Amino acid sequence: MIMNRNKFSLLVFTLYLFFIPLSIHAQIEKKLQFPITQYTLKNGLRVILSEDGYLPLVSVVIAYNVGSIYEKDGKPGLAYMLENLMFQGSRNVGRMQHINFIHRIGGEFNAMTTESKTFFYQTVPSNQLSLVLWLESDRMNSLDINASKVEQSKNTLIEEVIRRKELDPYLESSLYFDKLLFSDSDYSHPVIGEEEDIEKITVEDVKKFYSRYYTPDNAVICIIGDIEKNRTIELVKKYFKTIPNTKEVPNSPPLKPIKTKGMEINLENYLASLPGFYLGYRVSPPYSDDYYTLSIIEYILLRGKSSRLYNRLMKKDRTAFRLTGGIEEKKDLAVFKIFVLNNNELVKEISQKAIFSEINKLKSNLVSEKELKKAKNIFRRDYINQYSTPLNKALFLTDALLSGIDLDDLWDELNKFLSVKSRDIIGIANRYFTDERILLNIKLK
Amino acid sequence: MRNLLWKSPILKIFSILLFPLILSQGSFLFPQESFRKSPPYPDPLPELNLPKIESFFLSNGLGLSVIRRKNLPIINLNLIILTGESFSPEDLPGIATFTANMLSKGSINLSSSKIEEIIESIGGTFSSFTYPDFTVFNFSFLDDYLDEALDVLSRMILQPAFSRQEIENAKRSMFYELRNNNLDAEFLARRLLFRLLFKDYPYKKALYNNDIIKKYDRKRLLNFFNKYYIPNNSRIILTGNLNLSTASRKVSRYLNTWRKKEIKSLFLEQPSPCEKTKICFSDLPNAKYATIYLGNIISPSTSDDFFPFLVLNQVLGGGPNSRLFMNLRESKGFAYYAFSRVEFFKYCGVFYVQARVRPEVITESIEEILGEIQKITKEKTTIEEIEQAKSYLIGNFPLQIETFDKFSFKFSKARAFNLGERQWNKYYENIMRVNSEKVFDTVKKNHLLSPVIIIVADRSALDHLINLEEVEVYNNKGILQYIIRKENNNETR
Repeated sequence: MIMNRNKFSLLVFTLYLFFIPLSIHAQIEKKLQFPITQYTLKNGLRVILSEDGYLPLVSVVIAYNVGSIYEKDGKPGLAYMLENLMFQGSRNVGRMQHINFIHRIGGEFNAMTTESKTFFYQTVPSNQLSLVLWLESDRMNSLDINASKVEQSKNTLIEEVIRRKELDPYLESSLYFDKLLFSDSDYSHPVIGEEEDIEKITVEDVKKFYSRYYTPDNAVICIIGDIEKNRTIELVKKYFKTIPNTKEVPNSPPLKPIKTKGMEINLENYLASLPGFYLGYRVSPPYSDDYYTLSIIEYILLRGKSSRLYNRLMKKDRTAFRLTGGIEEKKDLAVFKIFVLNNNELVKEISQKAIFSEINKLKSNLVSEKELKKAKNIFRRDYINQYSTPLNKALFLTDALLSGIDLDDLWDELNKFLSVKSRDIIGIANRYFTDERILLNIKLK
Repeated sequence: MRNLLWKSPILKIFSILLFPLILSQGSFLFPQESFRKSPPYPDPLPELNLPKIESFFLSNGLGLSVIRRKNLPIINLNLIILTGESFSPEDLPGIATFTANMLSKGSINLSSSKIEEIIESIGGTFSSFTYPDFTVFNFSFLDDYLDEALDVLSRMILQPAFSRQEIENAKRSMFYELRNNNLDAEFLARRLLFRLLFKDYPYKKALYNNDIIKKYDRKRLLNFFNKYYIPNNSRIILTGNLNLSTASRKVSRYLNTWRKKEIKSLFLEQPSPCEKTKICFSDLPNAKYATIYLGNIISPSTSDDFFPFLVLNQVLGGGPNSRLFMNLRESKGFAYYAFSRVEFFKYCGVFYVQARVRPEVITESIEEILGEIQKITKEKTTIEEIEQAKSYLIGNFPLQIETFDKFSFKFSKARAFNLGERQWNKYYENIMRVNSEKVFDTVKKNHLLSPVIIIVADRSALDHLINLEEVEVYNNKGILQYIIRKENNNETR
């Protein structure tokens, strides 16, 4: 991960905090920071532990540094299929057993595949930590992949693709919008894949993908909850230390130069009942210098019923039936998306003009301190929610580590968002909200 | 980074479970450590130490409880009004929900938009939920802003505007929300099941159609509000890093002028369960699957049956290793899912099975569900199943109170139902006491074998029901259209 970190400004900021110890930002940091232990096993598995004994629960997250952009040679859907197969049995754990073991003890589990990361997670009573480590280590060590399971997984996923399209009449247009927005990158295909792509996946593809990426040196395990540190270190060692690594951590796919051209395209949608449009801008990626200001802009424009666009389109003009959007993060880039559904074609154009007018206001007028504080407070609330449970904390830490963040620097992240100034917003709005935008109009058929 | 959690991860359970049974395990040639061959034994069950809850009544009768949690700079405030939908007038069902919806829609000096802005300025969220027995307002905000939060809440309660324009806006939103729900098979099936079970009982008022919304007006709204939104009918529960003395001082400062009034307490008898099985069909055009809801009224959560029912529900349909799921999905391949649920209200509970099946196997699926229920009424559940169910319930309890809002809601419900300690500090103990005999006695006491059965599917699915004795056909508003009887194959309107 390429980090655009400005060490000098970090130092200045740290000094600033040092000399004003009771500043509001410092207080927030103190409230959120919690002790963590970090180390790496000899086979490369990175481990994060943190004690949180409030309730007798423990959350375990295992995240692999792999997602849909790692799919080679036109095999979209492979990463997602492997996530599915991770629940279908390993050498010592039969099919359905992972789910049954977790369910029987009252635990909860889930998994998630993104373009660049895959997460497996569960929260269980804390006396069952060793069970989770046994299950996770077995599927990391010896997933049982065979032709029959791969065929069944293909059928399941194809059914899921069809079902999702049936449930969401705007899914197809949303995927088409992503193709336009990411035309020059590997993000243009959906994580789940398309029916015809999934059909082409072979058992050999799956085995290769598993042995290349589902290895300890390409993974992070994070355990947070009612744990005893030394015993947890022992348990992690017992279950994971002998799992062989690849000897060579796979490289991330090479980053492609990013260049979009502004365009406006019309798309006929057979399933949609209302017209609407997607508007997208390519913006700076997470952890870059500009990202913090962009995030505050997202909150000013779109978060909450008193946000500028909600206020304008939904309450004042009443031209929109639905309004969603925000920054969507990828590994090495981010996009600012807005999706609007209108009651009819006539008001669609009015909605678009209103959005451009609100964006233009950001480019030339200072946001008042009151409005800025409101946006930051909503942001703070959402940021704090990442600390609300041991599982949320574990997901937050594993995601940060896989994104190349030094966890010691993590506590300073919130302050960077909260330090954004009104004048920063004008500069960043002018830099990113330009005519190089993608506008996709949905027309009814 | 932060957006990770907002990307709403897709719940994988169904796609994972859709996998058919594969018996063969792959062959692994490399040796392995012996500890990998079987699951490890758990450590001893950890103690659950619930936080101390301190309570106090203000002079106007407003109850205040404080749950101290230090780990997040957030405060969660639950305002409970001990009045729910069953208190709505007979001719105006839904007015309790409408009143709750209107609370944040403007006060004498603050417009609805201004209230939204103030709430968001303190990093807040505000929502309301109306149940048959009580109403809860959930207000969460950054902990620097307790005064601001109480100030805006007091303005909503003490000086509501209920302007005609906001009333019309709220009516429109409620109407469209209900109309959208009419496309959801699960919503339709549950609503029809509960309507038919509570046919003459006040809980039926929570199951209104959107036609009624046009009758709501300012006068009736004010009437309901003035009667029930009073301090001696309300409780505030604050969760966060604060103590009772600070909380009571601040709450008192903002709400001490809230006037106490006389209120007539409502006591209801337990509703009677359905004693004769009834099959009802509701048309959902173009639905690919058939959704079955099958259930009956059971004892309330204050009865001795409560804990045995929780265990029974786990055994029968509580999860992917339960009897219903294993039978209908894994063994027969009829269902996409098949689970059971228990919902408890103040004066009764409802036990029901929910399944989504292929339309051509509706009758077979119903037979299998009834067969499983019959089995538990005839044979005692095995000790292994009982212990597994208890293990789930004990292990899952802390997850139900993990976040401020979950904890606060569970406690609010316990307060509203006067449940005391048995479902709180003594929860583990009470679950541990359940055994096969208690489950068996509970099953026999309740009318599980004469349920109301609801089928929501495309009209074409009626062709698969021709062998059933009698099917009542309802429209999506829950109004009986006609009855199909087997003997003469006639439709009776």
